[in-house]
Amino acid sequence: MDNFKIIIKEYFTQILIGIGNTLLLALVGTVVGFFLALIFANLRILKIEKRDQLIVKILKKIGSTFSKIYVTVFRGTPMIVQAVIFYYSFHQFGLIWTPMQAGLFTVSLNTTAYLTEVIRGAIQSLDKGQMEAARSLGLSKTKAMIYIIIPQAVKNSMAPIGNEFIINIKDTAVLSIIQVFDLFSVMKSAAGTYYLYVESMLIAAAIYLILTLSTSMLLRYLEQKIGVPSKPLPSSN
Amino acid sequence: MKPLIRIEKLNKSFHNNQVLKNIDLNIYEGEVVCIIGASGSGKSTLLRCINLLEEPDSGNIYFEDQNILDSQFNLNKLRTKIGMVFQSFNLFNNYNVLDNCLIGPTKVLGLSKKDAKEKAIYYLTKVGLENFVHQDVNRLSGGQKQRVAIARALTMEPRVMLFDEPTSALDPEMVGEVLSVMREVAKSRMTMVVVTHEMDFAREVATRVIYMDDGQIIEEGTPEQIFTKPQHPRTNEFLRRILER
Repeated sequence: MDNFKIIIKEYFTQILIGIGNTLLLALVGTVVGFFLALIFANLRILKIEKRDQLIVKILKKIGSTFSKIYVTVFRGTPMIVQAVIFYYSFHQFGLIWTPMQAGLFTVSLNTTAYLTEVIRGAIQSLDKGQMEAARSLGLSKTKAMIYIIIPQAVKNSMAPIGNEFIINIKDTAVLSIIQVFDLFSVMKSAAGTYYLYVESMLIAAAIYLILTLSTSMLLRYLEQKIGVPSKPLPSSN
Repeated sequence: MKPLIRIEKLNKSFHNNQVLKNIDLNIYEGEVVCIIGASGSGKSTLLRCINLLEEPDSGNIYFEDQNILDSQFNLNKLRTKIGMVFQSFNLFNNYNVLDNCLIGPTKVLGLSKKDAKEKAIYYLTKVGLENFVHQDVNRLSGGQKQRVAIARALTMEPRVMLFDEPTSALDPEMVGEVLSVMREVAKSRMTMVVVTHEMDFAREVATRVIYMDDGQIIEEGTPEQIFTKPQHPRTNEFLRRILER
């Protein structure tokens, strides 16, 4: 027990900073990812129509292909690899950024890919009649998306978006590879200092568990408030 | 008198299945045209071509003498003049009753919220739902939903109303309330095109009845002509089957 006490006592402030950074990464990643995913999901489902002018057809094709490739690449490669590539390649281009900035960038783009699929699925699972009714009133496709389709799709996506937030709390641990000072980094350095690997990681595990469980409970409460059916604690990506 | 809607040589296929074969049809202002026929005869597709929810393969459709199939034609403007009521209601689930009726007038016609609301309440009262204005649409009965859908279309003050089997998804005890609202709409001299299986309604309200089979208009005439002395053996056969049930 003394070993645990030493670690917590000596690293208390750093642990708090680590928790703060972990939550910041998860929160910013999910929020930025959500807004980018709204754009990417809408690009992804662009449909070429007979009436479109040639230039519109080409732009639609480019947009949807780009979104498809983006999702495939980001979901098909580990975030730890993406983080290293972004952090060091931007340095090569002369952009000096902190590990935290690179970490926020990586987790945001990574989350975008996952949420794009979530929102695309939610849009496509809505009854086709919603769009038809909107069009029959004279709403353009864009207006129909903004006023009718997206609000419903987002509401139906609330549970998976919450899950993504919880996943991000855990998975941002990999960002320690580029020296992001998150909870895992802190505990890793504590482990190295005292040669107490098991104890440090048990503390890390306990804190992660508290974070994910309390977030999960908070989300479930919020979901009930806006009337969305809840889902159990998710597994990792 | 010039027709409000003129359909010429209209063809439409889904994959290899030709559902509309060379349809010619004129709809005049003030008419109530009921289209009857078996499932799969192409009547819903024909209706959906009028506001271009389905794009025909060939042929012409003129609305107010303008060719709506011209690629330069403003579809959204056309659709403000053509109200549509669907079999499955298609109320917007993210809005309450009133907001369902407001979205078109405010976001498409550019009416002020106050003017749109006045109109919406007028039409919601017409369909007997003045006490449900702020109700969540998911908590309405089927009949109420369809009446909201009718009010939503009427609030746009269109020149013609299309009804695509408006009572087919309803429980039997709710068919009456929707049909009686439709009767009221017909009485207001609204031009209506109704795809329906309700023969009594067609007989009573229609000014013209069209019988379709296999993608073609087989016969048309006054309800009297169609229901009492159909000329074509297929019309006769269809009516005999459906009225004997």
